[in-house]
Amino acid sequence: MEASLLKLFPRFVDLKDLLQNEVEARYILKKATDFLERIKSKGTAGEDEEIRYLVCALVDRNWERIHTGHFSNVPLTIRKIYAIACFFKIFFLLMESSNPRQKEQCSGILDEAQLLGCTDDWSDLKAALMEYLDKGQEEPTQPLPILPAVMRVSSPCDIPQLDAPGLNEFKTKCFQPQQPTLLLNTIKHWPAVDKWRDLNYLLNVAGNRTVPIEIGSNYASDEWSQQLVKIRDFLRRQFVVDQCGDGRREIEYLAQHELFAQIPALKADICVPDYCTVSGAEETAAAVDIKAWLGPAGTISPMHYDPKHNLLCQVFGSKKIILAAPKDADNLYPHESEFLGNTSQINAAELDYKTYPLLERVRFYKLLLQPGDCLYMPPKWWHYVRAETPSFSVSFWW
Amino acid sequence: MRQLLFTGFNAFGQHEFVNSPHDEQPVPCVQALVVCNWQQSRRAVRSLTQLKCILSSPFIIELNAHDGGNSNSNKKKNQCTISIAWRYTAYALDRKLRLRGLLETEPGDCVEVETPGEIKALAAGDSHCLVLLYTGELYKIQPKLEATLQAIRLESPPRPSTATKRTIFGAAKAPAPPIIEHIACGTNINVAISSENAVYSIPSCLHQFPDRQWRVQQLECGHEHALLLNGNGDVYTWGNGLRGQLGQVALGVEETPQLIDALAGIKITGIAAGGWHSAAISAFGDLYTWGLNCSGQLGMRVMKPGGLLKEPTVYPLPQLHDLPECCRSSRENESGDDEGVCEPLRVFAGSRHTLLLRRCGRLWASGWCIHGQLGKQLCEQNFLDAFQALDGVGVDLDFVSGLCGPWATLLMVTAKQKKSVSSADAIS
Repeated sequence: MEASLLKLFPRFVDLKDLLQNEVEARYILKKATDFLERIKSKGTAGEDEEIRYLVCALVDRNWERIHTGHFSNVPLTIRKIYAIACFFKIFFLLMESSNPRQKEQCSGILDEAQLLGCTDDWSDLKAALMEYLDKGQEEPTQPLPILPAVMRVSSPCDIPQLDAPGLNEFKTKCFQPQQPTLLLNTIKHWPAVDKWRDLNYLLNVAGNRTVPIEIGSNYASDEWSQQLVKIRDFLRRQFVVDQCGDGRREIEYLAQHELFAQIPALKADICVPDYCTVSGAEETAAAVDIKAWLGPAGTISPMHYDPKHNLLCQVFGSKKIILAAPKDADNLYPHESEFLGNTSQINAAELDYKTYPLLERVRFYKLLLQPGDCLYMPPKWWHYVRAETPSFSVSFWW
Repeated sequence: MRQLLFTGFNAFGQHEFVNSPHDEQPVPCVQALVVCNWQQSRRAVRSLTQLKCILSSPFIIELNAHDGGNSNSNKKKNQCTISIAWRYTAYALDRKLRLRGLLETEPGDCVEVETPGEIKALAAGDSHCLVLLYTGELYKIQPKLEATLQAIRLESPPRPSTATKRTIFGAAKAPAPPIIEHIACGTNINVAISSENAVYSIPSCLHQFPDRQWRVQQLECGHEHALLLNGNGDVYTWGNGLRGQLGQVALGVEETPQLIDALAGIKITGIAAGGWHSAAISAFGDLYTWGLNCSGQLGMRVMKPGGLLKEPTVYPLPQLHDLPECCRSSRENESGDDEGVCEPLRVFAGSRHTLLLRRCGRLWASGWCIHGQLGKQLCEQNFLDAFQALDGVGVDLDFVSGLCGPWATLLMVTAKQKKSVSSADAIS
């Protein structure tokens, strides 16, 4: 490992406050930081097997603490200890070897540190490690497809449409009356619209990052599961035409992920629409949550609602969307569990009036979301989304 | 002779092993065991290793293994009670309580305190260890060098049914403190149950089962959920069920004990709570597991065939296991009737592993094993996602009792009586 990288690791004094009430982390990280100091000053540090084991145990231990209770209630201290323990685990793995396989494993650990942990205090170390680990990684062997630019197709739309409305028009016609609206041609200027269709571009910029993906066509089904995968592997599995052609490959969906905080290079290809600055009379403009939604044809988000204003922007591909008003919540049979309380049990694409008779009372609004357009949904509007083609959308919640 | 065998996480010298040349008594050791010294064992012990019970001589060990005080009726002398937390282990014998591990700054730290009465049960958690006396009084102690025993005062349960008791002078009598019979704790949960079936989330009373409707058989806690088994064979769960721990259809939090409908009508005889999973054994000899399967702790496959994608990781409803054949085939020749010879008898669980004792005496296990939780033969793998027989136990050793720590397994065994003609038989 290079000296410039070693310099970025914290010393024990830097961690003292963080570890004040953390008995095991204090003991283990004291040993780990002392070891690293010895390496820095003398070049060698002697026997490391015990420290290496302890650091791995600290990672596992804090993984368990992070997975206890609701993620939003996990104390920041625990997520920071997890992250720093991951950094030291990477350090010890790289001491052992820095062959591409080992680097690959380390970059997976780094991604988990970022996804589960809190790396804010060591952003320079994180960035430097990422750069070091990405260097000399496997070159793409098989090019990915470039998806064709498609012309707009005409399609029925049950809600009002506006062609790139100005801020005021959006405020008075959509935001204030809480009117879902299809905003045409609003993001055509994004570099993303042209760039991302070339999946090799995504592979180059983001291939090495690990992201959470959902497996199975919809999150409310029993078969559904979630796991962390490399974007590279995800793209290969889902966008390269199946050689064996048995067509039974499982649908994976990169859904609701804060990809742009993780990969700044992609953030540069989009911009936050001005519409997201519009707020109610009393409120001040709140922070905007930006999430990525990337998957093959056939991904489904079952009928559900979100608590915030939502602008769903379509970068490539098209999505079929079915909406229902908040007032119909009681007629939409939400799940009873806490997890799925905002999700309806119905299949909006194929209404089953026998099982769910109250659906007769619901007015559904259908539309097709096409590249360059965005859909504005006021808070609590129910929506069902199905990708008709391979699709990349970006959502803004505020 | 009884032996304690340990395997798993021991980075903080929580456990000391029978091994060193300084030991006065040479201890007979079964071949399957690997003896390691204290220094080596300061990481993970990756095979069943003979443990020194630091409170009693190995010749009189009786292990009251973390049963939440179930064997209250017949108290045995010299019965050592053990409970394993992540960074320390609590040992009790009579009125002596010892905590050992990383208490403040160094591994192998040890504190010892005397309790006001004999200790019936321990429940060691991250921030404190619950200590239950035979008198039904409850104490707690923090795992630190200056540890002191603190009495826990429980709120009294509401008693709408009985009139306030008065002294002969007419003054209201202060309600007698509850007599606690069972305790258990996890990361975010501390439970006590009184002799009158009041359930406490320490210190408040969260539920009162109708008086003495039945007796509590077993109480277990995961990191954030609790399981209760009563004398009728019903299982109740409460706490955080967002990872399917509670055995209910809907994932969510339950404040009070709820009957597991999916097991209603099935007489359950034993339960276990892992970190985020649960297990139960029925009188019909069936094993059920439910909850999180991230490391195969349910004995369910983790990855789909092909090894790239995961199966679902959460199973909210009890899954009935079709266990592989155990020793049936080998015994079939000996006797025609071996029905039930290998049926599940008891189940134990750690944070991410599950241990199953079958009637034939063999131990089977599934789950996370990277820290040696499942013993020797498995340390090459990260986890085991189907139940497999463990070496040694049931073959060379007879199982007596067991318990799991978060990342550890502790067994009490005796060397198996050889079936061959013993010297006594030869004389007669």
